[in-house]
Order: sequence, then C-alpha cells, then structure tokens
Amino acid sequence: MTQFLLETSWWVPLYGLVGAILTLPWSMGLIRRTGPRPAAYFNLLMTVLAFLHGSIVFRLTWNRESFELVFHWLKAAGLDLSFAVEISQVSVGAMELVTGLSLLAQLFALGYMEKDWALARFFALMGFFEGAMSGLALSNSLFLSYALLEMLTLSTYLLVGFWYAQPLVVTAARDAFLTKRVGDVLLLMGMVVLATQAGSLNFPDLYDWAETAKLSPTVATLLGLALIAGPTGKCAQFPLHLWLDEAMEGPNPASLLRNSVVVGCGAYVLIKFQPILNVSPVALNALVVIGTVTAIGASLVALAQIDIKRALSHSTSAYLGLVFIAIGQQWNGFALLLLFAHAISKALMFMSVGSIILTTNNQDLTEMGGLWSRMPATTTAFVVGSAGLVGLLPLGGFWALRQGVEVFWVSDPWIVAVLLLVNALTALNLTRVFRLVFWGKPQPKTRRAPEVPWPMAVPMVSLTVVTLLTPFIMQSWSPLPDWEYVNLKAVLLLVLSGLVGCGLGGTIYLHKAWSRSLFLPWRFIQDLLGYDFYIDRIYRVTVVFAVERLSAINAWIDRYVVDGFVNLIGLGAIFGGQTLKYSASGQSQFYVLIILLGISFFGFLMSWLFDPSLFKTIFDGEFWRLSLSQ
Amino acid sequence: MLSALIWVPILSAAVLGFWPGTITPKASRQLSLIVASAVFVWSLVLASQFNPGTASQQFSEYIPWIDSLGLTYHLGVDGLSLPLLVLNSLLTCIAIYSTDKSIQRPRFYYALLLLLNASVAGAFVAQDLLLFFLFYEVELIPLYLLIAIWGGKRRGYAATKFLIYTAISGILILAAFFGLVLLSGASTFAYEPLRNYTLPLTTQFLLLGALLVGFGIKIPLVPFHTWLPDAHVEASTPISVLLAGVLLKLGTYGLLRFGLGLFPEAWSIWAPWLAIWAVVSVLYGSFNAIAQTDMKKMVAYSSVGHMGYILLAAAAATPLSLLASVFQMVSHGLISGLLFLLVGVVYKKTGTRDIDILRGLLNPERGLPVVGSLMVLGVMASAGLPGMVGFISEFLVFRGSFAVFPTQTLLCMVGTGLTSVYFLLLVNRVFFGRLSKEVENLPQVQWSDRAPAIILAALIVMLGLQPNWMVRWSETTTTTMMLNSQELTANSQPF
Repeated sequence: MTQFLLETSWWVPLYGLVGAILTLPWSMGLIRRTGPRPAAYFNLLMTVLAFLHGSIVFRLTWNRESFELVFHWLKAAGLDLSFAVEISQVSVGAMELVTGLSLLAQLFALGYMEKDWALARFFALMGFFEGAMSGLALSNSLFLSYALLEMLTLSTYLLVGFWYAQPLVVTAARDAFLTKRVGDVLLLMGMVVLATQAGSLNFPDLYDWAETAKLSPTVATLLGLALIAGPTGKCAQFPLHLWLDEAMEGPNPASLLRNSVVVGCGAYVLIKFQPILNVSPVALNALVVIGTVTAIGASLVALAQIDIKRALSHSTSAYLGLVFIAIGQQWNGFALLLLFAHAISKALMFMSVGSIILTTNNQDLTEMGGLWSRMPATTTAFVVGSAGLVGLLPLGGFWALRQGVEVFWVSDPWIVAVLLLVNALTALNLTRVFRLVFWGKPQPKTRRAPEVPWPMAVPMVSLTVVTLLTPFIMQSWSPLPDWEYVNLKAVLLLVLSGLVGCGLGGTIYLHKAWSRSLFLPWRFIQDLLGYDFYIDRIYRVTVVFAVERLSAINAWIDRYVVDGFVNLIGLGAIFGGQTLKYSASGQSQFYVLIILLGISFFGFLMSWLFDPSLFKTIFDGEFWRLSLSQ
Repeated sequence: MLSALIWVPILSAAVLGFWPGTITPKASRQLSLIVASAVFVWSLVLASQFNPGTASQQFSEYIPWIDSLGLTYHLGVDGLSLPLLVLNSLLTCIAIYSTDKSIQRPRFYYALLLLLNASVAGAFVAQDLLLFFLFYEVELIPLYLLIAIWGGKRRGYAATKFLIYTAISGILILAAFFGLVLLSGASTFAYEPLRNYTLPLTTQFLLLGALLVGFGIKIPLVPFHTWLPDAHVEASTPISVLLAGVLLKLGTYGLLRFGLGLFPEAWSIWAPWLAIWAVVSVLYGSFNAIAQTDMKKMVAYSSVGHMGYILLAAAAATPLSLLASVFQMVSHGLISGLLFLLVGVVYKKTGTRDIDILRGLLNPERGLPVVGSLMVLGVMASAGLPGMVGFISEFLVFRGSFAVFPTQTLLCMVGTGLTSVYFLLLVNRVFFGRLSKEVENLPQVQWSDRAPAIILAALIVMLGLQPNWMVRWSETTTTTMMLNSQELTANSQPF
C-alpha cells in the first residue's frame, strides 16, 4: 500500500485537474437546477484527496532516498521528451504546502464567492491552478516545468479576468498574461537552446551537462538570462513586475494563492535552474541585481498604496526579491526557508484582507478604521500574519531572515543591509496598514462590520494557528540553532530593524490629508511611489508604443505598398485594355498601317540585333555622306 | 482504394449538379454530408491500414494514361500526405455541416464543395507531377466560384485576385515541372524516377526558384500574400475554414514534396535564405495582425505568420524539423479552422466582425459564453500554450530547426510572443468588458452552431496531450525523406 501511494504520488496534481473537469457541466451551464455549489464541493473533495494523498506520501518520504519517476511522452525522430517527476522530501513538501493552502483558499472561497453566479467556473480555475502548481513542485524536467508555468500563466489570466465585465479587470488580465508571456517566450528560447545543447531536458541530465559545458561567454550569458526571464515574470520582479499589482483586481481567494504560492512556484523553478545557471556568472549577478532593485523599490512603493491588496502585493514582490538575491548568491536553503515563511504568512494576511473586503465592500485604506473590536478573528489573523512575515517576533519570518543575515554577515555585508532595510520598510508598511484599518475611529464603511461567517473564519483561524506553529515546522525540517550559537549581533540588528519599522509606522502622522500632501516635494515622492515610479507609463511610451507604431506602419505598407503594387498592376492591365480598344476603328487602311509599322519595327529590331554595324553606319553619318556624295 | 477518395465526391458532385429532377436543399445538404462523411470514414480506414513503418508509397494505383506526354494516373500515399488527406476530409465534413441551411443555390454549392474536396485529395495523393498539377488547377475552379458567388460585398475583387494569383502560381509550377522533365531528359512525369535525375546546379536554382514562388503564393509567403486576407474576408465561413485549413497546406506540401524532394542540393544551398524568408513572413504577418480591426483579417494574417514556421522547419530539413513541419500543418489546419468557425458564429449572430464595435460577448445571459470560451481555447492553442496541439508542433519546429539556423529560429519564436499579443487583444476587446449596446439581443446560439467547433477543440486538446497519435504516421517518412535527399545530393554532378 505504501509503495503504491509513493509510486502514484504523481496523481496528486491530477486531482486538481480532475476537479476542474468535473465542474464543467455547471460552468458550461448544462446543469442549472442545482446551482453551482455541487461543482465547488467536487473540487473541494478532490483537493482534500490531494492533500491526504500528499501528506501520506510526505510522511513516507521522510526517511527515504528521493527517487525519480520518468514517463516517456513523445519519442520521435531522435527526440525523447519525457516527464520526470522527483519524489523527495522537498518536492513533496512543496506540493503539500500548495495543496494545503489551496484547500484553505477554496474553503475560504466558499464563503467569499458565495453570491457569485460563476462559482463553478471559479472553482474549476482554482482546481486547474492547484494542479499546475503541485505539478510544478514535483516536476524534475525543464520541459514539464515550462509547460506547467505556461498553464499557470493561462490560469492566472483567467482568474484575474474572472470578473471580465469590469474595465480594470480587462486591462489587468491582459497585462498579467502579456507580461508573464514575455518571460515565458524568453524561457522557451532558453529551453530550445538547452535542449539542442544538452540533448535532454531532465534536470539531472542538465546538471551533468552544466558541469562540463563549454559555452562561449556570450552564449552562456544569453542562455542564463533567458532562463531567469521566466521566473522573473512569474515572481513579479523588475522589470516584469507590474502585473501583480494590477492582478489584485481579481477575486481574493485567487489573489491569496497568487501572492503566496504562485510567485513561490516561480522561485522554486529558479532554484531548480540554479545548477544550470552556474554556467553564467552574469545571470547569477543579474538575479542579485534584479532582486535588490525589486526588494527595495517594491518596499518603498508599498508604503504609498492606499488599496489594501496592493499594499500587500508590493511587499510580496519585495520578499521574492530577497529570494532572488539568495538564489543569485547560491544560498538555496535560505531561499526555501524564506519562501515557506512568506507563503504561509502572506496567505494568512490575504485571508484577513479578504474578510475585510467582503465585510466592508471596500479596499480603500483611507476609508477604514476601528475594525479591531468588530472583527477580532480577522484582526488576530492580520497581526499574526504580519508578525510571521517581519523579522521581529520569533515566528517564521524572523527565523528565515535571521538565517539570511547570518549567511551574508561575513561575505556580503551590503546584502545584510538590504535585508534589514526591507525588513524595516515592511514593518513600517504593515504597521501603517494596521493602524489605518484596525485602529482609529470607525468610518462609515467600517461602522457596521460583523465578523465573517464560518466558511471563511475556519480556514482563517486554522491558518493563524499554523502560522504560529511555523517555527516548529521549520525546526523539524532543518533544526534551528540553539540560542548560544546564534550570532547575537545579527539577531539584535534584525530585531532592531523590525522595531524601527514598527516604531516609525506607529508614530507617523496618518490622516486623510496626509494621503495628499500640500508640500510639493513630499507630494512628488508620494506620487512617484504611488504610481510605481511611473514605470507603466515608461512602458507605454516605449515598448507598447513601439509595437503599436511598428504594426501600424507595417499594416500601412502592406495595404498601400505591397497590395497597392498588386492593384496597380491590375489597374494598369485594365487601363491598357480600355485604352487600346479605341485603336479598333474598323478602317482597313488603319489596320494596314499598324501592320506595316509593326513589321518595320520588328525588322529594324531584328537587323539591329543581328547586324548592328549597319545601324552604326547610319548613325555615324557614313550612310548619308555616301548617299549625298553620289 | 485511393481513387475512391477522388472519384466518389466527383461523381456525387456530378449527380448533385446535373440530376434532371429537383433535389430539395435539405436533401442536397444531406447527400453531400453523407458523401463527405463516407469519404472521411474511408480516409480513416486507409489510415488504419496504413503501415507507418515504411517510407514507401502505399495503396499505390497505377494506370498509364497518355504515354506520349508521359502522364500516368499514379496515386500513392505516405506519411507526408496521409495526415493532410485525413485533415482535408474532416474539414470538408465540418465545412458542409457548418454551412447555413438556407444557403442560395444549394445544389451547386454542395457540388462545388465536393469537387473541391476531391481535387485537393487528388493533389495530395498524385505521384505524377503532371497529375498533381491537374488537380492543383482543378481545385482552383470550385474555390473561385465558391468565393465569387457566395462571398461578401467585395467578392468579385477578392475572387478574381485569388484566381489570378493562383493561376500564376500554377503557371510557375508547371514551368518548373516541364523544365525538369525536358532538361533531365526523362520520359515521364512520374515522381519517384524523377528524383534520381540530377541537373546542373544553375538549372536546379532556376527550377527551384519557380517552384518557390509558385508555392510561396499558395502558402502564402510575404510578399505574395495579399490575396489571402481579401479572400478570407470575402469568403463565407465554411470556405474560410477550408481555405485556411487545407488549401494553404497544398503550398507547403508542394514545397516539401517537390521543392525539397526534387532539388535537395539547391534547397540546402538556399536554405539559410529560406529560413530568413520564413522569419520575414512570420514577423510581417504577426505585426500586421496586431493592427487589424476585422477579426477575420486578424486570423488570416496570423495564418501568414504561422505558415512561416513550416517554411522554417522545411528549410532546416533535419528529420525532426521535417516531422514538425507536417505536424505544424495539421495543427495549423485544426486551429485556424476552429478560429474561422468561431469568428463565423460571432459574425452570424452579431452581424459584425469589427473589434472596435464588439464588446463583452462572454456575457452569460445575452452574449455568447460557450463560443467565447472556445475562442479563448483556440486563441491559446494558436499562441502555443501547452496542453494543446499548437504548443507541441511549434516546439518541435523550433527544436528541430535551432541546431541548423539558431538566429532565424529565435526570431521566429518572437512570432509566438506576438501571436499572444494580437489574439489576446482580440479576446480582450471582443469577449471581455461590458456587453456593448450595439450587439444586444443576440439570437440564440444553437448546439448545431457549436458542435463543429467543439469537435475541433476536442481534437486540438487530444493531439496536444497525446501527440504520438499524429507523429507516428509521419515519422518514418519524414526521417527517410532527409536521408534520401542526402543520398541524392551525394551523387549529383558538379556544374
């Protein structure tokens, strides 16, 4: 039995897909009588199955060597495309995290999306989402990973575009798809190069190849950059980061998964790429640069957001930036730890945010306040989530960041500075959000705010408990050090940065008027951060404009030059025919004249072709001289 | 065996067209549907009897016809033509089924469709150059009439343009065939023997050039493509499906069979330029598609782009890329067929194809939700999303061609990115958003409108998940095609 469950662990991703297919009769409108709920229940059931199967397998992998299952998918013309699946502690653990969070998110959605008529479609997409992500966790081949990343792109597009009638959603879905697609196409290019160079696309073979590969520096650099482009888009890193912010227009349970595990999947794939990236130092440095820019930039941008979901989504980008730095510096353990802590805390915070949004019908921070006494569970969830994210109290985020500070303590002090800065800024931002939402006086929209119903409260409270237990989970995974061995200076600095952030966040003047300062330099900075450094406008006048102009010019050329030339020939033919028809006068003298002219023309032509000297004498004047002299 | 694919539809077309008594529109529709289905089933039977392990021509039929000309009635099928043959009969069924039931002059219409089916099938199975040319030209007549009679407002212009272009293409192909036979001193137009003659390289270049332009018009490759958007826009939906799905494939089939097959040496020398030509075609078609506002024109330009991949794969001529080119033909046939069908439904229900007017058609109550969902599927398949046939065929194209032409392949891959740009714009504008006032109160979409699209969509997903079903038919043929060409190149004479 155990062996069977182990060997069938690749079923786990399929459960989600099966759930998605089972909802089809409802989402297509074939069954209307029951309402869309049964579809949701089917999906929940499949996710429960996936979770249970996954947890059994997780238990089994605990003390076991990791092993690989290979399915040959397509063998043709010397090409062998196979799906390799790795069953190891890490991969199954990641899969467990995905299915667990997906289960909680779906439960939460049962309450959050209760009144939505398209519930069945939503759950189908969630099942698809879950299947793709848990497949990504297991995948051990670049080809399979790429395919699943693309499926994630597609389902992100459909989930962001779920409420497709709203104008902002339309642009958000479009931008999410296109931004990720840019990364994916670059990744596809890298994959084709790798496939040609290495012969196989399974990660173990690629690792072997990367150790001995002899590539010219340019090729290696381009290859490395192409490979990191895909995860850069997935993890919402600069310069492909704008979509995550816009994607907050989508339904909240999907945002929950997107901010916790979907971005994590991108980073997870990047960790898988890491041994290949060793062929290109430039790519590794690029990772560090991208990560640093995004971490600091996004932390700053988050400070100026007044939309509650956007304030949190920018902090997601920032944390993933830290993960990028870690991967670029080849500290995968730290990267995984941070991803884990971030995923759980962020998921919890998004549940809390979802409760707030559903209760108040509002996402604007400046219109909230005083919710702590009205929504205790939600408040607790937010506080615990924040504490789990920031390096201050000994929860997940603290332990993860502590490890980061320690590993870079000697080698790269500047990274420590970045970590501390991001930690302080995140703490500042979260305190700011907390004060605006839960503290202060209730405003009209938050005056009547009852706690959320059971379907939302249960997953929220359970996740709160899980977040509190994160250090113990980490402990069992990789033992946390005893207090004596901890670098006390590092811990102090970390806590200090968290305290400074919270202190600043607790003392700054927050008022409606503050959200639009009259002091011009302030206002400039506010706008700069509030509009994401105007990067979307820069894109609009560069990339978007270029493509648009190019296609317009191209269409013009096609229509008036290429097709115009064709039409000109047609017109010429018709015009020639129409004109020549007047030459048919009906008089025989005229026809004889034409015939004579024609014959003499061709006679001249022939004689010129065959005896040019004759003409030469004529044009030389020799002929005339001779004839005149006679 | 193979003759049945040709003569059954022709005879039925003759019956439909010339039967002295009256045939009701319903009866003529049913008769043509039965015949087309029978042909489809027969092509499936042939496929099941087909032996994928050998590269030689199967089900051969040989009847001497006009000895003095060197023309023989020689048919045969191999892994290159079999998928196209099945695709042709499938899409013909779908085209007949999706025809408007109240179409004018039904007898003539259905007869022409059957004739078209027969002549295209004939072109795919002909093993004699002159016979191929005959079918290639015969196919022109029904298609011209189908556009010119049942087309849109500017059907006369579009049909004539199509006719002139394709006639020029035919002349060039005929010239190349005659040139080959006369210069090589062969006594017949039979395909296989002709492959063993070798010509001086300059002559090869001349003949191959004529073939390239001839088939390049049909594919179509930039700059010979301008007939295609016009023809698509004016043709009715079923004709567009056939045009994009099957008829364009005659061009790429011809390039592979006659260009690469007869002039391997000249082909390999020109290959880098052909790959560049493919890049130009892909990028030009894609950028043009972005700027279109007519849905049908957008899909038509996307065809220009996607057919460019086939040229790239054919130019690379590795065993994998040749297999990929056949796969991409089938995949493009299915996907563009689906897209044209859906655009047709939208046009039928809303009366417009203008992207600037249509909005919010996914609306579940008053819009076209199922059609919209299928459209998203088709668009994603075209953009090469995994799980659908477009992905694996394009991946094989790129994987097979990269080793030979790295730069050109990478540039072509930009085309897949651009595909998602224009098709996403299409879906976003037409199906997302609020339902616009202009298109409220749409007539109900019947399941009969959706059924053909659903069949194509199912095929797209099935072949996308299990490409082996398609690949195994062609693998041996395409692999040996290259080996044969190499052998032929090895013993050629210098010039």
